[in-house]
Amino acid sequence: MHSTETLRSHGTACPATSADGGCTDDQIAGDGYTCRFEQGARPESLILNMGPQHPSTHGVLRVLLELDGEYIVRAEPVLGYLHRMHEKMAEVKTPAQFMPNMGRVDYLHALAWNWAYVGAVEKLAGIEIPERAEYLRVITCELNRISSHLLWWGAYLLDLGAFTPIMYAFDDREMLLDLLQLMTGSRLTYSSFRFGGVYTDAGPAFVQGVRQFIPHLRSRLPMYTALVTENIILRRRIEEVGVIPQDMVTRYGASGPVARGSGIAYDVRRAEPYSVYDRFDYEIPVRHEECSMARYMVRMAEIEQSLRIIEQAIESLPEGEHMHPKAPKPSFKLPAGESYFAVEGARGKIGVWIASDGGKTPYRVKLRAPGFSNLALFAECARGTLLADAVAILGSLDMVIPEIDR
Amino acid sequence: MTPETASVTPDVLLAPLDPAYLAEENPARTGLRWSAFLSADVLPRAAALLLEAGWHLEDICGLDVREGLAAVYHFDRMTSPGRLAIRVLMDRAAPVLPSIADIHQGAEWHERETADFYGIVFTGNPNPAPLLLPEGMQGHPLLKDDAARAPLAALLAVPGREDTVLRKAEGFTLLDPAEDAKPAKPAKAKAAATEEGADNA
Repeated sequence: MHSTETLRSHGTACPATSADGGCTDDQIAGDGYTCRFEQGARPESLILNMGPQHPSTHGVLRVLLELDGEYIVRAEPVLGYLHRMHEKMAEVKTPAQFMPNMGRVDYLHALAWNWAYVGAVEKLAGIEIPERAEYLRVITCELNRISSHLLWWGAYLLDLGAFTPIMYAFDDREMLLDLLQLMTGSRLTYSSFRFGGVYTDAGPAFVQGVRQFIPHLRSRLPMYTALVTENIILRRRIEEVGVIPQDMVTRYGASGPVARGSGIAYDVRRAEPYSVYDRFDYEIPVRHEECSMARYMVRMAEIEQSLRIIEQAIESLPEGEHMHPKAPKPSFKLPAGESYFAVEGARGKIGVWIASDGGKTPYRVKLRAPGFSNLALFAECARGTLLADAVAILGSLDMVIPEIDR
Repeated sequence: MTPETASVTPDVLLAPLDPAYLAEENPARTGLRWSAFLSADVLPRAAALLLEAGWHLEDICGLDVREGLAAVYHFDRMTSPGRLAIRVLMDRAAPVLPSIADIHQGAEWHERETADFYGIVFTGNPNPAPLLLPEGMQGHPLLKDDAARAPLAALLAVPGREDTVLRKAEGFTLLDPAEDAKPAKPAKAKAAATEEGADNA
């Protein structure tokens, strides 16, 4: 094992040479990660560098693999290609200035990150939220969860070689983006939650649009099932592949559909109730097969449950303010203290911890990304599977790298 | 995890490790249910006891304060939720902690990230390479200047916290209210750094 000091001082130069069994003359020397990874390999193994440009790693994840034929002996994800140091930015910006960052951590479920941050600030500062704003948060956050799951669905099948489904998914997702644009002003990197409410009130166009969208998507879901879920090729690719036993979920702190696909009925909306979620009647979908298909089924069922929540919330949307009259000005100062606020994102438990000394900007902000813990278990989960399964497993974890790298 | 350990609260669970401080919190105020201060050497034993009782590691947060470097480990349970914050304080000159990655495997990445940001060395981490920052990068971006460091008590022991102290070792003064609980100097130093941006808010 290398000492931390050695690893941190040698830069990106390859420490291995042909003399000690590392990179040989006919190979291009890799960076420190490749060279250290190669040193642990058996002589007959093939080392494969997958990503960060591989299409199934979605542009920014790199995985080092040691292969015995087509079987994975060892895997090591290499992170950091999309690291932006959000936690440092949080320390030099006021809470209001930091809000746009929350649209860019997990761009597929940006409103969940909006919520985690405003929730932590509101808890620390004792800011109240009007009831109407709570409902609007629930509705937009659940719409955003569906758009995230739809994009995952299309992209996962694209990873597995099925091109057509993403066209259907994007067709429906487009309607969601139109609706969310009315409420947030943007189509992807939303930052529309405010301390004490939400930026825009829902007008008739939004309410009407949501009412029409619910039956529309419900009518499409059976087609999704017939077209894809029951497809024998898909099932052979992902059933019993990427098995994650419950103890692995605990040892890695995994959450979201990854935990629920392994039979753990853990959902922050129930476990650590926030906002008005306790007023709605919905289920937490759980599967017990522990494989990629189980996680697939959980996400598909969650689309239906989110529709149920949205339907109840839009029908019982209370009248009133969308911003609390006493909501603080953007220049407000956080009081001293700490607060941890967790929400259920499309990928699992999002946590924001703020520690403040009463200064103009937070003293420390920690962003707990669900994808970080979910991807951490990949190396153990992929051991002994086929190379082609690595793609099926990575996709089933629904990783969004900007969230993992932060 | 056995049914007996699933409902054991951390004050009972961690009692054999003699925590210097242990409090029951009001989750509505802080999002925590319990908080504790442990010494670095018992951290692996605490991690093992917690895993056995069904707790998972949520994250590891470094923290640079006047008293030294600190690490906050957040644990939670899926069966009966309630967050536990375990805090460990280190000497700034030798910020070393034992790794718990052999117990909670998910800790490996959290530790490497904390090493990147704060320069804390986790002895026994199976792969102590930089995780998010480039190899060979000098410096640790979340360390603070001397003038900007706040005392721990200014962050974690503020009035109105509504916690109930269950254990407090003799001589444990970390959370005693500091004389300058709201230090004017750090606030000013930070304000200067963000003046330009803050004015546009």
